[in-house]
Amino acid sequence: MLHVQNASVFFSARDGRMVHALDRATLDIDANSVVVALGASGCGKSTLLNAIAGFLPLSDGSITLDGQPVDKPGADRGVVFQKDTLLPWKSVAENVALGLKFAGVPARDRRERAEELLRLVGLDGFANAAPHELSGGMRQRVGIARALATDPKILLMDEPFGALDSLTREQMQELLIDVWARTGKRIFFITHSIEEALFLGTTVVVMSPRPGRIVARFDLDFVRQFAQERDVRAILSAPRFAELYDEIRNLVHRPHDRSHDGGDRPQ
Amino acid sequence: MTDLASRGAPLPTPTAAPTAAPKRVRLHPFGLDGAPTLLISLATGAALIGLWFLVAWLRLVPPLFLPGPEEVFTQFLAILDDGYAGATLGEHVSASLFRISTAALLAASFGIPLGLAMGLNRWVKGVFDTPIEFYWPLPPLAYLPLMIIWLGIGELSKIVLLTLAMFAPICLSAQAGVRSLPIERVNAALSLGATRWQLFLDIVLPSALPEILTGLRIGIGVGWSTLVAAELIAATRGIGFMIMSASHFLATDVVFVGIGIIAAWAFAFSYGMRLLERTLVPWKGKS
Repeated sequence: MLHVQNASVFFSARDGRMVHALDRATLDIDANSVVVALGASGCGKSTLLNAIAGFLPLSDGSITLDGQPVDKPGADRGVVFQKDTLLPWKSVAENVALGLKFAGVPARDRRERAEELLRLVGLDGFANAAPHELSGGMRQRVGIARALATDPKILLMDEPFGALDSLTREQMQELLIDVWARTGKRIFFITHSIEEALFLGTTVVVMSPRPGRIVARFDLDFVRQFAQERDVRAILSAPRFAELYDEIRNLVHRPHDRSHDGGDRPQ
Repeated sequence: MTDLASRGAPLPTPTAAPTAAPKRVRLHPFGLDGAPTLLISLATGAALIGLWFLVAWLRLVPPLFLPGPEEVFTQFLAILDDGYAGATLGEHVSASLFRISTAALLAASFGIPLGLAMGLNRWVKGVFDTPIEFYWPLPPLAYLPLMIIWLGIGELSKIVLLTLAMFAPICLSAQAGVRSLPIERVNAALSLGATRWQLFLDIVLPSALPEILTGLRIGIGVGWSTLVAAELIAATRGIGFMIMSASHFLATDVVFVGIGIIAAWAFAFSYGMRLLERTLVPWKGKS
């Protein structure tokens, strides 16, 4: 169980002003769940992910993973970034196995595990390719395989499909559901696409900016439905899907929301 | 509006079938746009040599100031056979190469680690920034007298002068290499369980390598351009010495031979560094 309790983050903007990036967020991520944080720019969703990953200390509150306090990055939390962070001097397989190398796994076992993971993300045959030879979608597949290699307790995904074209994005969403169904990893996923949130999340938390806080929570089962029936159209045309879409849309675009006056999403 | 009704109707066929060799087009380029320049450069070189021949043949300039190409070549063969000022051409060249290589080795083995440390640690950066920023814009000729006073007229002062000249660009490039490292790459490695030492070896060092190699290439170039100054110090061997000595006797043809040899070696070093870059950092500019 990943447990976020009253987590708050304040930091200084470049002009010295104090930014209240995250306000008393409380969130549980149970086994076998996909929790999606949804919101406009500056709502604190990336701040929350960075804190869970251990890249950013909290000003107040606590984060624990299976009872252990989270205060620095570690291999028990795999991260998939928006912009892929593959190492250009290593082959695809070496990139996937990077965490295993850090853990001291012998080269032959690393290679075997990397090939297994590349099969899982639909990239068998690309083990020896260089990252720059791959398309954006394929690079994100490598990113997912790399994050899974160390067998983390949770997968943290920071708008991983945000930079992809819409067709590739749909393929990647289905791939992620397959990976989730097969590995049973719990996932914390960030997006600003309502449709993506509804499609992927077992839980969707809606966040609003200034200060960034969680304003609503929905428990869903479209993702389980897709994992079983594999019928996208049935889900997208379900009346419940449309209702939720409208409800969340109204939450995200509330009149007092000033998210259009300049994005200050923490990097 | 008959759009919906006409859906599925056959599309009008194009009038002309494609010809066997269609005209290939591309977007209008702007600026250089990667167009090849090798042939133009070669032609320019040939034209300059041709102009040199012409000027010498027409005797537009006295040979004392500008000897003709065949004169310079004859002098080159003569030096190759008999040497110059009591040493063979091979001895002059190897004296210069020894100084440059030793200085490059020294500059790299101090400059790269210090540059990396300056990119990583504020104390190292703070301490070393002042002396480096102070001395590196100085022309080596300006501190040459100090080298002689402090270190004498032997090999040591020459090698230290060259090392100082090469050190700054190498050190500053290594520092820039560390600073060009994106924070996401560091975070990715940390979240994969990297220790600080693994982070340095597997992420920081390879990320900085392209800039380090560029720094070495620039540093060696600076070394060659400082060589003549270094060999002003009571040298009896070296290409720089040969040029300076010949100038005292107005032996312009020997000066030309020396310049040609330095140019050829400097080009060879630069080309070798490019090859090294292609082998060590084939990903450069592709990620």
